[in-house]
Amino acid sequence: MAWKVKEEPAPGGAAPDVTPQGEHAPTGAQNIFELQAVSVRYSGNLAVKEVGFGVPTNRITALIGASGCGKSTLLRCLNRMNDLIPGARVEGTITYKGQDLYSPRVDPVQVRKRIGMVFQKPNPFPKSIFDNVAFGPRVLGMKEDINLLVENALRRASLWDEVKDRLKDSALGMSGGQQQRLCIARAIATEPDVILMDEPCSALDPISTARIEDLMNELKDRYTIVIVTHNMQQAARVSDKTAYFSVEVGDNDRRYGRLIEYDDTERIFTNPSDQRTEDYVTGKVG
Amino acid sequence: MAVSEPRTRLVFHDELESLEGEVLSMFDLVVGMVDRAVECVLNQDVELARMVIESDDRVDGRYLDVNQGLLNLIALQAPVATDLRLVFALLYTNVHVERIGDLCVNIAKLVPLAGETPPIVPELLELIEKMGPQTRSQIEQAKLALQNRDADLAEHLVIQDDVLDDLNKEIFRKALTIGTDEDRREWAMHMTLIGRYLERIGDHTVDIGEQTAFVVTGEFREFTDASARKNTAPRP
Repeated sequence: MAWKVKEEPAPGGAAPDVTPQGEHAPTGAQNIFELQAVSVRYSGNLAVKEVGFGVPTNRITALIGASGCGKSTLLRCLNRMNDLIPGARVEGTITYKGQDLYSPRVDPVQVRKRIGMVFQKPNPFPKSIFDNVAFGPRVLGMKEDINLLVENALRRASLWDEVKDRLKDSALGMSGGQQQRLCIARAIATEPDVILMDEPCSALDPISTARIEDLMNELKDRYTIVIVTHNMQQAARVSDKTAYFSVEVGDNDRRYGRLIEYDDTERIFTNPSDQRTEDYVTGKVG
Repeated sequence: MAVSEPRTRLVFHDELESLEGEVLSMFDLVVGMVDRAVECVLNQDVELARMVIESDDRVDGRYLDVNQGLLNLIALQAPVATDLRLVFALLYTNVHVERIGDLCVNIAKLVPLAGETPPIVPELLELIEKMGPQTRSQIEQAKLALQNRDADLAEHLVIQDDVLDDLNKEIFRKALTIGTDEDRREWAMHMTLIGRYLERIGDHTVDIGEQTAFVVTGEFREFTDASARKNTAPRP
């Protein structure tokens, strides 16, 4: 099941089938998200305008563009993090496994269980390494053996060998790169389908960055990853698909983001279709 | 002592390794083409010549794949240092090996033109027969040098290539004395072209050797100065 729905009946009729589409089918070629005419407003001001594309399952999709192009805003739409921002409004349709992500019957907490997030700056809780990873499963009341669950998450995050002898140590004593991998372990401990990453390496040194990038490639066998990055070369290195957003200026001189091109990453970085993409990836415009 | 970090950029290095493997396997393809091209000349085997021509499609297909793969690698992975040198060496080597395949096709295309019972001059054919294994050996040496990052073995190709150069010159000299019979002169002309094609293949192996030395040393230089005259022997 993709997520639990709230108990109240759907307005205007019988409850629709909430069984996610294709959950047990081969997922390689399917899109886990479909975005159609998605616009986002903050207090009525347009931030992202009419974006539409599909996010393929078990692939890494990168969102790139200059500051203010709305890529982080759009990323936060994918697990309803914008719900937490007063005045934020999402228009259009975003489906997750064929279900309307913004249906009033969908529980945002369950959405965020299935669609985890890793942020720019590593943000471990001031707790032990073990408790950081165990936090999500405990809150969600997951029934699995917690020791096994923590070990599995740390292994998948390529961190187990480094921390297995000091699980009770504070997570705050880890290096920045280790902390970020811990945050990835924490995100995958709740068994999500998708990991959203908002500039996950911008606070890390090159070696730690390379390790996170290698980890992303390992994780995509099990998870779909969507990454926002300011580092164009990182998008080129790690992603299968790339969406380029530009900053447009509206009639009222307010800036908003718009999707210019979405294609295979190889195509975006060797022969993009749109001149604006070409100008951005070659550095002719910021 | 520096702390050893685990190997990183796994996708990039795996891809680069895979592309190098593709290029190395192209050497094997063209070695087979050289063998068959020489054999079809020696035996006037038109059917074998056709096979050589058709087999070039495989080399061309792999050439295109490798070229695209390396282009993607440069665009997506921004290789630096030894990795960058290897990428560029593979780009050039890819072209050289593809050209070797084309030269084998050139040789094979001359076979049907020689007619079913050409006016064979055995001494000329014997020289072509000697050039075959020498050419094969140089291609294999170029591959081994690249594979093992052996700059000395790569540079040794220059000495090896003198053998091919001398055989080619010898073919040219003998062709000059072939006589006045028109058919014999035409056939001899074909043989001088074949000698020239094999000699060109040898040059490509030396060029590949220069790429290997570039990967190893980080400095690109030509092993020989092509404009310098080594001796006064007539140039074909």
